[in-house]
Amino acid sequence: MERTGLHLLMVVLLCAVSTSVRAKIDVFTCEPEWAALAGEIGGEHVNVSSATTALQDVHHIQARPGLIARLRKADLLICTGAGLEEGWLPVLQRRANNPRVRTGAAGYLEAAQYVDLLDRPARVDRSEGDIHPQGNPHIQLDPRNILSIAAVITKRLATIDPTNAQDYRGAMEVFANRWKEAIRQWEVAARPLKGMPVVVHHNSWVYLQNWLGFEVVGILEPKPGIPPSSTHLQQLLNQLDERPARMVIRSAYQNVRASDWLSQRAGIPAVLLPSTVGGSEAASDLFGLYKDIIQRLLEAAQ
Amino acid sequence: MNLEGLDISILGPAFVAGLLVLSTHVPLGRQVLARGIIFIDLAIAQIAGLGVIAAHTFGWESGGWPVQVIAFAAALVGAFSLHWCEQHWPEVQEAIIGTVFIVAASAGILMLAGNPHAGDHLKDLMIGQILWVDYQQLSLVAFLYAVVLLFWFMAFKAGRELLFYLLFALSVTASVQLVGVYLVFASLIIPALTVRKAGKPALWIAYGVGAAGYALGLSMSALFDLPAGPAIVLMLAVLGILFHISRKHVSLT
Repeated sequence: MERTGLHLLMVVLLCAVSTSVRAKIDVFTCEPEWAALAGEIGGEHVNVSSATTALQDVHHIQARPGLIARLRKADLLICTGAGLEEGWLPVLQRRANNPRVRTGAAGYLEAAQYVDLLDRPARVDRSEGDIHPQGNPHIQLDPRNILSIAAVITKRLATIDPTNAQDYRGAMEVFANRWKEAIRQWEVAARPLKGMPVVVHHNSWVYLQNWLGFEVVGILEPKPGIPPSSTHLQQLLNQLDERPARMVIRSAYQNVRASDWLSQRAGIPAVLLPSTVGGSEAASDLFGLYKDIIQRLLEAAQ
Repeated sequence: MNLEGLDISILGPAFVAGLLVLSTHVPLGRQVLARGIIFIDLAIAQIAGLGVIAAHTFGWESGGWPVQVIAFAAALVGAFSLHWCEQHWPEVQEAIIGTVFIVAASAGILMLAGNPHAGDHLKDLMIGQILWVDYQQLSLVAFLYAVVLLFWFMAFKAGRELLFYLLFALSVTASVQLVGVYLVFASLIIPALTVRKAGKPALWIAYGVGAAGYALGLSMSALFDLPAGPAIVLMLAVLGILFHISRKHVSLT
């Protein structure tokens, strides 16, 4: 008798838990910027979580049981794509075995398919390092890309959850207006950065560079993903003698020692830029991210 | 704390992988401990990893059989060379093993300078990705381990050194790609160390400690959203220490 009661209680509890979860759309993202964006569009109708944080290198992450569990109940999976997560996303999808987010399904969104990729290599060769044959995948660093992808997310959410489609479209309109206004302000603020020569740690800032118009005159990692050799560092220093850079840029997950080394040798400031939401205290949402990036660049350029 | 990762379909394959690794590594580990060549698994695993990197340098895809053949071949050559060293310079065997380990690791990094995709592979070889395994992968390893165990319990006697090195190389090459070097080392050494003075049922106690370590480590990893490999290593160590203390306590009273 007591056992039946206990079982009944368990069933009631499980139902309560599952209906409260079902009521919301589960969005699982590979990177925090898409989680933030899905939150802007989905609002109270979605539960959002990201597999990685701004302090992790998205190329490699450690397997945790929670990741499989979260993808298993996801209704929408949003990743950058273009090979950025190729080291772990396919295995994660296979282990989660969730048909809603299988590649090609309505619940699978690869952001890179909806923007123009830069740095598409003419020749793909293993000797070129950690290269992405589809083009540079760090697309979140141009705010105009964010706008295109927000529209795609809105469509997908409306398809998956038609009852709330009106709300998603409404939220998209509000977001788009705020975002366009913010872009205008950022572009005004960032005018002094146009043409400014900088050195980058890894070639992950091309979209920001393309948007703001600063110039990359050197890369610390000659081949992406491979630590620099001493010859390369010497060449870089010689190059900087001829054409001095104003700063050296790295993101939160990159080793501080390489950019500090260059900073001391070349006498230029080393700047840490948040590469996504959560990469710095001020970058707590997408608006804060760009505001903080531009502020840090302007401060270092003084 | 979250309960959603505590799901048998998520943790099941990883736990079975752990049991498989333990099945061969516990008896092998007791032999390794008895011979005092603790770091041999690191050396052999690193040589196997070097083989994998070399295969990548030739442009072969990972996971294909040519890569496996090269990894096994490299491990075998390494194992037989170490066997030869043991016969000729038994007094410095451990020093040689340590040197082989760092030389193989450094050679890997040098090769990797032109091939960063192998770099991911090398990192996976160290830390392992036990949660990504599925039953299909496990069936191949289960078959290999059945053969290894058959030879171990039927044919291995003290003095048959060559057979020991052969079985060791086969087991470690497979387990390293399944769960990573850290877990291989922990599975090999910790249970064996725990039952060092445990008398007759030692083998079974060691299996028990190992299995409990994997079960607890995987549960901790699910509950606290931690990487699974390191969580299991820590739990194996904690259980080993607890077992040691409790046994001492019992024998004193």
